[in-house]
Amino acid sequence: MSAKKTFVITRFDPDKDEVPKTQSYEIECQDDWKVLDAINFIKDELDASLSYRWSCRMAVCGSCGMMVDGEPKLTCKTALSDYGDTLEIEPLANFPIVRDLVVELEGFMDKVKRVKPWIVSAKEEAAHRAAATMKEGTYRQSTEELMAFKQFSMCINCLLCYSACPVVANEPDFLGPAAIALGHRYNMDSRDDGQAERNEIFRGEGTVFSCSYANECSEVCPKGVDPAAAVNQAKLNTVIDWAAGFVVSRGGDE
Amino acid sequence: MPARKASHPQAMAPSAPGRTRTAPPVQPGSWQTSRRMKQYSRFGMTGWVYLLASISAIEMVYALGSGPEAYERMQGVFGHPLMVLFHAISLFSVGYVVVRFFGLFPKAQPARIGPLKPPPGPVIAATLYGAWIGITLVLSAILAGGIF
Repeated sequence: MSAKKTFVITRFDPDKDEVPKTQSYEIECQDDWKVLDAINFIKDELDASLSYRWSCRMAVCGSCGMMVDGEPKLTCKTALSDYGDTLEIEPLANFPIVRDLVVELEGFMDKVKRVKPWIVSAKEEAAHRAAATMKEGTYRQSTEELMAFKQFSMCINCLLCYSACPVVANEPDFLGPAAIALGHRYNMDSRDDGQAERNEIFRGEGTVFSCSYANECSEVCPKGVDPAAAVNQAKLNTVIDWAAGFVVSRGGDE
Repeated sequence: MPARKASHPQAMAPSAPGRTRTAPPVQPGSWQTSRRMKQYSRFGMTGWVYLLASISAIEMVYALGSGPEAYERMQGVFGHPLMVLFHAISLFSVGYVVVRFFGLFPKAQPARIGPLKPPPGPVIAATLYGAWIGITLVLSAILAGGIF
């Protein structure tokens, strides 16, 4: 079975266009197609100039995020059968548009670096662990320790959460859901010693306390990461860390 | 392209300009009409209700300090049907925000706070609702003259 559908797609050529415009394509779609299949068909058969990102086609790489009828969606995971005869395909909201459906990602990369998304090891801890590793084998993490952060490590950086977030739309300095969730993921990792550094960042301007808990990021997340939970857990941890600073010594420069 | 509300022009902009000119970011078109965003907008609009309620409470305190006549007059104002309606809206707003907050609060608990694990979500929710109902009953009893 197949059906005719019209795709109204945003087009923008930075060399020619002042502002984005739309172009319509009417194609015969198979019932089992995802939105990405239709866009690939348009690119292959009708208009090779259409630009967009995609790669894995199985909701793992996070490349094919677009606005489908005004909602941020991973197009390889979004069934065409859920939509009517006309679909509006736009680039991800809240991002500068580079070309057609391709958005500028450098802003996100700048933000994500700020949360130190890697395991920070204190020198003495690292030496202790190295010694333990030599003696006992691989550094071990219990299931319970893993479960404390596993959900937040499932993020594929598709950036749908940034498109859905009303704070991202209005506060350019806001770190945003995915970056904060990633920072929180490392804060919850039993191998990490960088909580104090990250909590210092989280207490700054445009971070966790800019979140108004609209919960939109979690509503649109295709991987069930629940970034809103991460952001709000980070709020609580940050406050506890701040309060603990009054009663527990943090050490000092050696 | 259909009209879309612009995002902040610097939303998700890189710290250094990229090599190509970009079109400015726009907000999702569905925000104003989607069920979820309507709920969130209603949540945000309750802020205006609290602002007005706070102003009326300050007015009342000010009247209390301006003598018995001013206080009586203010009580008369508070008895006006429009003010009663406003207070009904305030009560609804408080209930709406509290229920939304209680619904979202359990998942805002980290998996572990130091050595402590938070209780399961339903236990947290039951505790919050229990405390809310308990405090409401105590305050009602005080206002009704049952206590003190």
